[in-house]
Amino acid sequence: MKQVPIAMALVVAALVCGPAPAFSQGVKFEADMLGGLEARPIGPATMSGRVTAVDAVVGERLTIYVGTAGGGLWQSLDGGLQFKSIFDKYNQSIGAVTVDPSKPTTIWVGTGETWVRNSVSVGDGIYRSTDGGENWTKLGLDTTERIARVVVNPRDGNAVLACATGHLFDDNPDRGVYRTKDGGKTWDKVLYVAPDVGCADLAMDPGTPDVLYAAMWQFRRTPSFFTSGGPKSGLFRSTDGGATWQQVRKGLPAGDLGRISLAVAPSKPGVVYATVEAAKTALYRSDDRGESWTEVNSSSMVNVRPFYFSRMVVDPSNPNRVYKMGQIAAVSNDGGRTFSGLGSLNVFGSSYHSDVHDIWVNPKNTEQLVVGTDGGIYISLDRGAGWQFVGSLPVGQFYHVSYDMDWPFNVYGGLQDNSSWFGPSRRSGGIPNRLWQSLSGGDGFWAFPDPTDSDIIYDEIQGGNLFRIRRSTLESKDIKPSPQQGEPKYRFNWNTPIHMSPTRPGTIYYGAQFLFRSRDQGESWERISPDLTTNDPAKQRQSESGGLTPDNSTAENHCTIFAIGESPKNGNVVWAGTDDGNLHVTRDGGKTWANVAANLAGVPKFTWVSSVEPSRFDEGTAYVTLDGHMTGDMKPYVFRTTDFGKTWQALATSDVTGYAHVVKEDPVSRDLLLVGTEFGLFVSLDGGKTWAHDTAGIPSVAVRDIAIHPRDHDVVLATHGRALYVIDDISPLRKLTAATLDADAAFLDARPQWMVNGTSDFGFNGDGEFVGRSPAESAVITYYLKKRHLFGDLKLEVYDSSGKRLASINGGKRKGINRVEWSMRSDAPRFAAGSGIIPNLYAMMGPRALEGTYTVKLIKGADTYTTTIQLVPDPRSKATAADRRAQREVVDKLFALVERSTDLIEGITSVRDQAVARAAKLPAADPLRKRLEALGAGMEKQRTALVATSKGEGISGDERLREELGTLYGNVNGFDGRPTKSQVDRMTVLAAELDAASVTLKAAQAKDVAPLNAELSKKKIDPIVMRDK
Amino acid sequence: MFRKILAGLALAALVAVPASAQTLDEILARNLKAKGGLDKMKAAQTIRMTGTMTVGPGMEAPFVMEMKRPNMMRMEFTLQGMTGVQAFDGKTGWQLMPFSGRKDPEPLPEDALKQVEEQADFDGPLVDYKAKGHALELVGKEKVEGSDAYKLKLMLKNGDVRYIFLDADQYLEVRTEGKTNIRGTDVEAESTIGDYKEVGGLMFPHALESGQKGSPQKMKMTSQKIELNVPIDDARFKMPVLK
Repeated sequence: MKQVPIAMALVVAALVCGPAPAFSQGVKFEADMLGGLEARPIGPATMSGRVTAVDAVVGERLTIYVGTAGGGLWQSLDGGLQFKSIFDKYNQSIGAVTVDPSKPTTIWVGTGETWVRNSVSVGDGIYRSTDGGENWTKLGLDTTERIARVVVNPRDGNAVLACATGHLFDDNPDRGVYRTKDGGKTWDKVLYVAPDVGCADLAMDPGTPDVLYAAMWQFRRTPSFFTSGGPKSGLFRSTDGGATWQQVRKGLPAGDLGRISLAVAPSKPGVVYATVEAAKTALYRSDDRGESWTEVNSSSMVNVRPFYFSRMVVDPSNPNRVYKMGQIAAVSNDGGRTFSGLGSLNVFGSSYHSDVHDIWVNPKNTEQLVVGTDGGIYISLDRGAGWQFVGSLPVGQFYHVSYDMDWPFNVYGGLQDNSSWFGPSRRSGGIPNRLWQSLSGGDGFWAFPDPTDSDIIYDEIQGGNLFRIRRSTLESKDIKPSPQQGEPKYRFNWNTPIHMSPTRPGTIYYGAQFLFRSRDQGESWERISPDLTTNDPAKQRQSESGGLTPDNSTAENHCTIFAIGESPKNGNVVWAGTDDGNLHVTRDGGKTWANVAANLAGVPKFTWVSSVEPSRFDEGTAYVTLDGHMTGDMKPYVFRTTDFGKTWQALATSDVTGYAHVVKEDPVSRDLLLVGTEFGLFVSLDGGKTWAHDTAGIPSVAVRDIAIHPRDHDVVLATHGRALYVIDDISPLRKLTAATLDADAAFLDARPQWMVNGTSDFGFNGDGEFVGRSPAESAVITYYLKKRHLFGDLKLEVYDSSGKRLASINGGKRKGINRVEWSMRSDAPRFAAGSGIIPNLYAMMGPRALEGTYTVKLIKGADTYTTTIQLVPDPRSKATAADRRAQREVVDKLFALVERSTDLIEGITSVRDQAVARAAKLPAADPLRKRLEALGAGMEKQRTALVATSKGEGISGDERLREELGTLYGNVNGFDGRPTKSQVDRMTVLAAELDAASVTLKAAQAKDVAPLNAELSKKKIDPIVMRDK
Repeated sequence: MFRKILAGLALAALVAVPASAQTLDEILARNLKAKGGLDKMKAAQTIRMTGTMTVGPGMEAPFVMEMKRPNMMRMEFTLQGMTGVQAFDGKTGWQLMPFSGRKDPEPLPEDALKQVEEQADFDGPLVDYKAKGHALELVGKEKVEGSDAYKLKLMLKNGDVRYIFLDADQYLEVRTEGKTNIRGTDVEAESTIGDYKEVGGLMFPHALESGQKGSPQKMKMTSQKIELNVPIDDARFKMPVLK
């Protein structure tokens, strides 16, 4: 084949097999382009989050699998110290995780949590990995929405049964017990009762795997009600591997049944336990493989909230020891007759997080327990007396997020069963769990700092309880509005909205069925609306909610305001959306209200308004999301109005998946929209015409809330399962116009770059703690590439205003947005070799650039693109520009001194080596040899006066001019401010020492080298060459 | 560390066939062709790369990497006038790290030895993989940094697994990922590879970014110069004898 130039070959290649050329339709914005704008997880993991299922493998090392409610599947290979997420690309709601008992590298995952609380997510089928969790294959059952158990035959890993709880919010036939005999290729539905009856639990007799037990459960949740139990629930048994099933009744209560949990005693499989929700919920025991049952216990340990706590496990070696999950984990040692709580209990509960969903008992050492709770994983090594919290699982379920204006800004938000917290958005070295502070208790939702006083936080917990908290002292005042004379009871949503006025800092809104406004930090409230809901009594039966077991936690409170938004353009324009489908707007500060919900074409009536976002650009423009998932309608609804709600434009395309929780308009670019759904973050650059699913660092997790920091341009995501993420500086997205997308390469302007000098703290915390990621303490240069750069250089060069090149940096080559870091320093000084590295980090770095404008060139093959970046001081710095200039002057002088000393030392070393080399060529008796050796020795003596030369690896403490200059350079270089007088004086002293050493050397060389060279020349040996410097 | 990837001419792209038809052997053939072909590759006896690597934010060190057939390698980098060395002579791996006062070379521990042994594979692991005792399979296509790539799973003779990603248009390596078992624990690493330039008829990447998988901290290595067939004495790769 004839050789052609590469560039030409590439052009031809692009025409032959490349993607659509740029000159045709233009380049479409897509998710692949967002990779360089990677979100960073900031955790925290200090409160962790809801764990739904646990399994483990006992080998040389203990491997633990943790399934979570909304944060995917996690694996620990070291017995529960460190965890990593291994299911990021797939559905994050885990119902069941089961390791194949005969092949521990095969793991089955059923998606869709089965603990069907109001905030529960939805799954999308069953998955299997055959390589220890590295790769996953989806194996069907896509529409079951929820899988409670996967049971694998211990004798045949291809024989598997799945217990599908199924749809929670609507009738659907895709539920019951499914069986595969071929490892998941095909499934048969082997047990099915009705479209509103799902499988709640499934157990296999480990001794006789053909014997199976299944709990079938009639249940339903609506936006305002939950029902557990009915005539169609029942306990079933199969003795032929699940082919046929018989309902078991003997000894079980008559009447309606609810959720049943099942457990077989592995050490005596004839013994089976079942908790049966009924008019009188109780634990039943069978000693004849489930044919007949006897009630053994109906205590509160057994009958607590069956829909939420159903799991029961029998100790693998003791048929009479039974663990039952509940608000606390309980154990019976007498075959179920009595139960006591695990752990040291007091009036506030246990040392482990309350609400325990699953337990794993080590079959090889039944003293070891692992429990999964609403607050993560705990491990006990003494059968539950004491517990170790696992701090490496950042699976918190945040509902909302907000920020303050500190630098760095703090992030605030509340979580499912885990209070509200705040913590820093960045920190040198990462954000550890200990920097997060909790504000209250219970379930946290909204928490906002007061924009007029950052020591004030408004914090809401479930059911509308509102507090004003002092951040500095954490003292807390109840400021919830209360009904006045003649008013009805206020109805507050489980997740009651607080809204901070964007036009009048200090004004806050709060929503019940009425909208309230306070201008005095919640000391008093003004009711500014009538009842904005449907006020439908049929949807206000929360006191009857629960079914067989009453469950009125405020989670079913309905006909309430859920979303509030005041127009940043006009404080008299306020929007209020309700959970029962009303959307009101006032244009006169609350005097009159118009319900505009009916104008939302294509949205079923009564669909929950999940967020409302008035535009920053135009008072008639607003965005809303609506969420119908609690009626079985999983479609994303995202709308925009530009006429105060009279007409609406649907924005969600087929690229947006998952029911919608939130929409945000970028405060700078009105075309940049962000939408959070149950399955992730979606970005539009064109006002909602097209969308890309942003997976850059973000798993398929529910994004419940989004905040865009108006000063720093960071996006903060509240995820319901993976805690918080920050996308640093989204300014480049605003520059990603159609023209830019069409360019081969283009710089994307970013915010000014803070000159943050990294710090470190002293802490050796082991490996068991999640540390939130902090951004690089560098200048970040952002650019776009239309396609991957593969051939030739792609580098960035930074120049100062005089045109001097400070840095050359290898650039990212990815398609789309690239981010490259510049340390804001030029090259480090050259040092002569010594006995070791100078123990000062900043001695290894070049001088710090001063604040100002720098030119950046992107060199891509033959093309050069140019832009500028702006360096600005660390906002916390107390130093002035003059201080930093003074620092830079001293650094420059020290830099020059270091390099002068290097030249001097290298000159000495060179003369030494030349003298020694020439001596070696001469006979031992030659007098010239002696003189050369003497010169060599003299030079070495001079060198050792300038450089630490102590041998060995101990801590010599040896310091000579090289080390002293290097350390002083590092010390001044490491602090962005004025050097001390002591440092400057010391520089003068060291400079004098260097001068003196230089004079001595020159004298010695002048005295010795010239005469020696004359002698060498006589012997036809090359002269000793002295360096100029 | 620097994974030398021999690369080839972009001409290969001209004869690219639809992706769906690709088998592992076809992809390997295209990869070899893209790098310049087996003949040219085998004609190279030594390689010397000279460049700069980042050892931390704002900290750079010049490096020289030398390789010689059949499986010798030496990597040097210089900090504050002192030069550290890691080398492998085909049998023995050793290092000299003078940065805290040590003057003597020492044998590499098992984990580092594994790495230099792998780096010393002159033609890279894909060439003659069967003869080397590795196993290779085509996993499929995956996105790497937003662009399509073929994903190859390489099971090394020593039991470690590497994933090698080849650009779907040009068939050149753009990423490697791997797990290295160190004292019973798998350590996951990834490298991103780019800036291919022709040297002596072979395509060499001149930029490499590597680090722990998923971590934002990456070490960058940039070659300013790559030379083929410069004479390099075998002694350069041997551990100096202690006096």
